[in-house]
Amino acid sequence: MTTSASRTAVAARPPGRGRRAENKEKNRRAILRAALDLFARKGFFHTTTKAISRKAGIAEGTLFNYFPTKEDLALYFFEEELAGIIGWYGAQPRLKEAGLPEQLFAIVHRFLERLGPYEDFIGAVYLRALQPRSKLSPLSLPSQERNLRYLRFIRGVLAEAAAAGEIPEVGDLGAYAFALFHLAVITYWLQDRSAGKEQTLALLDRCLKLATAMLKKGGWEW
Amino acid sequence: MVNPPPQPGVLARGLRLGKLGLSLTGSYLGYQAQNLFLGENEQRQRRFQEESSRRVRRELGSLKGVAMKLGQLLSVQTRALPEAAIRELAGLQMQAPGMHATLARARFKAALGKYPEEVFRTFEPEPFAAAPLGQVHRAVGRNGELLAVKIQYPAIRTALENDLRLLRSATLPARVTGHFPGSILDEVRRGFLEETDYLHEADNLEFFGRGLRDLAYVSVPQVRRDMTAECVLTMSFIPGVVLDAFLEGRPPAGLRNLIGERVLELFYFQLHRLRALQADQHPGNFLFQPDGRIGLVDFGCVKRIAFDVTTLIRGCAARSWRQGEAQAREVLGLIFGARTPYARARKMLAVLEVAAGILFPEGRGADPVVDFGKGELLEVLGQAMGKAVRDKVTNPEFAFVSRAELGLYSLLHRLDAKVNVRAVWERVAALEVTGPWRWPETTAHRKAKGRKPLVLPTS
Repeated sequence: MTTSASRTAVAARPPGRGRRAENKEKNRRAILRAALDLFARKGFFHTTTKAISRKAGIAEGTLFNYFPTKEDLALYFFEEELAGIIGWYGAQPRLKEAGLPEQLFAIVHRFLERLGPYEDFIGAVYLRALQPRSKLSPLSLPSQERNLRYLRFIRGVLAEAAAAGEIPEVGDLGAYAFALFHLAVITYWLQDRSAGKEQTLALLDRCLKLATAMLKKGGWEW
Repeated sequence: MVNPPPQPGVLARGLRLGKLGLSLTGSYLGYQAQNLFLGENEQRQRRFQEESSRRVRRELGSLKGVAMKLGQLLSVQTRALPEAAIRELAGLQMQAPGMHATLARARFKAALGKYPEEVFRTFEPEPFAAAPLGQVHRAVGRNGELLAVKIQYPAIRTALENDLRLLRSATLPARVTGHFPGSILDEVRRGFLEETDYLHEADNLEFFGRGLRDLAYVSVPQVRRDMTAECVLTMSFIPGVVLDAFLEGRPPAGLRNLIGERVLELFYFQLHRLRALQADQHPGNFLFQPDGRIGLVDFGCVKRIAFDVTTLIRGCAARSWRQGEAQAREVLGLIFGARTPYARARKMLAVLEVAAGILFPEGRGADPVVDFGKGELLEVLGQAMGKAVRDKVTNPEFAFVSRAELGLYSLLHRLDAKVNVRAVWERVAALEVTGPWRWPETTAHRKAKGRKPLVLPTS
């Protein structure tokens, strides 16, 4: 894939209105679906753009118009996943009644579950994200924009728990801390070879219960 | 107060276990010494016991794993611990810290590839019972059948292995002196780790389901293989209530005695006829119904009896050791194993006489009915176990049989049952032994790390 600046601009542009924009979004999703399917079956590095375009039913040149690089594809994938999780969480009435450890567990677990088939892809994305000039780097603007949406979402969940008296007010710092923890869990999950990733489940469950218990006991003062 | 959740890793669990061990044994030993030399009043004793038992429960409850199992083992021995400690520990049996619904569902999906609601018509997200290594949920199958779904805590096997490693280090001095042979630890390890594999438990359930068919009053859950995996066990729902709830209903003496007789018959039946024993006979694993029917659940821990247990019980009933040296050697050899020197094993004859005297009263005018409510048998067995450790005559073959036996007598004691043990034993002993055993190897079992299932012979 190329890394031309003009193509990047196309990929980063927010979806517009009208039929054309709708079609564009449809194509993006078709490409992402095709790419993810091939990543899951052949692995990230062994999947060619030719194979993706063939599977998506578009010309290879058109593919580059949408996603000039694999990084753009990854960014779009994470955007979609985040939007999907926020939407999914809002539609879970039972979780609204659950305790905070379960709510946060459900969010991270849902995320991991969605990433499950694309472990190889996610691993590759992690490596790319370590490069400072990468669009996947946590310091890049597209990543920052997505992170902000994520942080606002988590801040909302924590604020609801605080309003219910389950934990003290933790403010923005609470959301940041959880975001770091979430990242750490994904890193652990990537190298977890236990059956059904049970070590990750255990770690996630224990950490969340421990953190909530500590917050309940003494807020940030513990 | 909020209990801290369990810490992963050998070191953290080690520290916690160590803290429990040191704080409890330290203070208990200190108290014992004080008691010996200074004497103690009852109130202080009770206060001490309650403090200790609270500490035990807090520490064990947060550990799960081996400590949880040991907690159960201890709580079964109602005569070996003070009443206050038993009350606290009893909570461990049915109130293990639970998984929330999301985690339970995640475990189910990881094991079977689908969420419970995709498999069952209904699935209750809240568990109705806690198992030592997991929890049990009610469900209704696609055909309307009531089901119990046991789901295991994540990574519990690793946690158990960590604890067992720790236990091995902690018991090094006792192993060196010969008071706690390494073979016992191996046996404990085998039993505990087997419990973590629900496929193995499914084999056990099927084996006992067929084996206990002749006892019409016993129900064993039927396995649903299509919804069972290594950490999820789906089985038919067995109605009934656990002992505490049963006793709360103030059952009449006749019913308590009937159930006592049946529980004992079930025990002897397993030993004599099946040569295999459900070795986790704590009260939570028995479900009682008002008509005297008994549900036996949780077959994670099963002991295959490799020695001639029929001759042993017959010998005890007839006090065969009195007939001569050869008979004494035979009985003691069966109990303490061929490796234990006869001279050392012989020291246990006196305790054996007492135990046999309680279970199988002899002599003219002796009442054949044993009153388990008195609890003297538990006391004798507790003393016998202590003596066996002191005299270095422990036998790994008995690690789980003794546990089951204590569980049984404890259950009968709490039932306050009166049972003619000799009559029950003779009724069972008249039945044919179903053995010898076959241990077929199937793909599933080869996969399950070479563990072999129990299979009833077809002939």
